[in-house]
Amino acid sequence: MPEPDLEAALRRQLRELEARLQESEDTLDAIRRGAIDALVVSGGQQHRVYTLESADRPYRVLIEQMREGAVTLSPDGTILYGNHRLSEMLELPQEQVIGRDLGLFLPEGERPVLAWLLREGGRGELTLRGARGGEMPVAASLGWLAVEGEGAVLCGVLSDLSAQRAHLREVSRANALLRAEIAQREAAEAALRQSQKMEAVGQLTGGIAHDFNNLLTGITGSLELMQEAVLRGRIVGLERYVASAMASAHRAAALTHRLLAFSRRQTLAPQPLSPNRLVEGMAELLSRTVGPAIALRTELADDAGTILCDPSQMENALLNLAINARDAMPDGGTLVIGTANVLATPEACREAGMAPGPCVALFVSDTGIGMSPETAARAFDPFFTTKPAGEGTGLGLSMIYGFARQSGGQAMIESALGQGTTVWLYLPRHEGMAEEAPKGAVATPAAGRGETVLLVDDEAVIRMLMGEALRKLGYATLEAADGPTALRLLQGGERLDLMVTDLGLPGGLNGRELAEAARRTQPGLKVLFITGFAEAAGLDARGLDAGTEMLPKPFSLEALATRIRAMLDRPPSPA
Amino acid sequence: MSEAAPYRLRLFVAGSSARSQDMIHALRRTCRQGLGPATELEVVDIFQQPDLAERNGVVAAPTLVRLSPAPVRRLVGDLSDPERVLRAMALGPGAA
Ligand SMILES: Nc1ncnc2c1ncn2[C@@H]1O[C@H](COP(=O)(O)OP(=O)(O)OP(=O)(O)O)[C@@H](O)[C@H]1O
Ligand SMILES: [Mg+2]
Repeated sequence: MPEPDLEAALRRQLRELEARLQESEDTLDAIRRGAIDALVVSGGQQHRVYTLESADRPYRVLIEQMREGAVTLSPDGTILYGNHRLSEMLELPQEQVIGRDLGLFLPEGERPVLAWLLREGGRGELTLRGARGGEMPVAASLGWLAVEGEGAVLCGVLSDLSAQRAHLREVSRANALLRAEIAQREAAEAALRQSQKMEAVGQLTGGIAHDFNNLLTGITGSLELMQEAVLRGRIVGLERYVASAMASAHRAAALTHRLLAFSRRQTLAPQPLSPNRLVEGMAELLSRTVGPAIALRTELADDAGTILCDPSQMENALLNLAINARDAMPDGGTLVIGTANVLATPEACREAGMAPGPCVALFVSDTGIGMSPETAARAFDPFFTTKPAGEGTGLGLSMIYGFARQSGGQAMIESALGQGTTVWLYLPRHEGMAEEAPKGAVATPAAGRGETVLLVDDEAVIRMLMGEALRKLGYATLEAADGPTALRLLQGGERLDLMVTDLGLPGGLNGRELAEAARRTQPGLKVLFITGFAEAAGLDARGLDAGTEMLPKPFSLEALATRIRAMLDRPPSPA
Repeated sequence: MSEAAPYRLRLFVAGSSARSQDMIHALRRTCRQGLGPATELEVVDIFQQPDLAERNGVVAAPTLVRLSPAPVRRLVGDLSDPERVLRAMALGPGAA
């Protein structure tokens, strides 16, 4: 007879077994009815999950429908599975994709890329060649996938890059188009500017021809009158004609100067000078030029030092600036002309296109109408003027700019509409003393003491004029029309104290070459170049050797004599 | 019987899908109502943890397992019928 405890335990066991049996039957039933998604099959250490079609169906659908090519590959590149998109990319019906070698759909040159991807996995760009010949750039990304019991496969995604490429092409085409348009517009603008300039040049040359004709008429007329008078033996009153001929000639010279300055081909005769003294010396003249309605003030810096530049050009520049200021203040105002010591950093100098080093500034400041940014941007352009036709040539500021640049400096405009204008001229500071009062030099005796001067110029009239003037002053002169003739004189044993030569000479030797050849015969020979242009490169007075100087044409005979005397009085250079 | 220790259930599914999410929600509701608010329901994806399926004696998905109170019970297949779920998971009146 079983004890009651044992009986209870057996009953419990029975219930448990019944439950287990029920569970198993339920499980089998569920499997039979397809109520399950997956089965877990265990074999030793490994568990495998077998999914039934219903479980991974969403993923299959997803993969089939996605717009990227999805692929699994064997390690040798054989396609094991490809989604619908892949078959589109390969231009094949889906049933012909599996089992193909993916490499056959690539250009030969890209097969190593695929081989590398198959070996290493990762990303690359490939060109798919479809079965019907279509080409498609794709980004491929491949990765290893371990599948139990089957060895490794690679699965990958291929994304179409053509849209992206087309977009890039589109963007770069649009860019190129834009650039072409800009270039076209710039060319048109440049052409317009050029034609405006040509128009202005036309106006200008017309105007200049007219002015020159007037001046020449003045000169020839005076000469004719003189000739007549001389023929009739009347000498009295001749100075009148001489004076008017001279006046015309001076104006003509001034006119050519202006033109040369703007072309930056003028011959500068720089010398050390004090900007303060220069401004002080001009204040009276400037004040009279601008008239009583404008108050003139000078602001001179104690430490403005010395600059190296052509004094008459500097005076000319300040005068032009004052006239511009006057024109900008029709109802009066204040004109300030000043100097300043500028502590410019090397970067600032480089930016301004100047050699690094200390600078001195001269400025002319007015309380006038000012300039719009557009006007200020073009004010230095030659022929740019806002003044009515016939009133402004538009050469004033361009000449000043040319002069400042040629002197190693810079010119700048600071202006705003209704706020007045300040024009700055920056020049390199010169370490040395300013020459004392060059203006008073007229009185220096220019007389010769029997020194021999050789005059070389192809223009017989100029040779004659110079020779006559110098001989009257007590010099002995020799003349030559070209370089070879001059050299023959020298080699013939003539001892010279100084040679005056034109820079541009016929006969195969220019003035500079002649000077060199002459110094081989007579070392240390002093040479004075006379020229209408600083034509030979670097022939600013600064670029000259010791014992060599330059006198720009046109010059007065008095200036020539003064310069020759000064050169002869200087101790010979150690060359 | 509501004062007894809370039920701990574990649901094994094959992959996560919208359908399995719906099922999990329905199941949570059923369990809280029929087995008490403190019922815990864990969800295991057999793809991610096949060894856990093995340890819990799970051979198919979906399977709902009662881990506690003992004895362990499993329900395989359709879990959408609350009565069927509760019949399998709740401790029978004689079992306590
Ligand atoms: N101080 C100033 N205030 C306002 N505008 C100025 C001033 N200086 C120059 N400008 C502007 O710059 C333009 C060019 O000046 P620039 O001196 O080169 O030629 P211009 O004065 O017009 O002609 P020109 O000097 O031959 O008489 C002027 O027409 C004017 O519009
Ligand atoms: Mg002007």
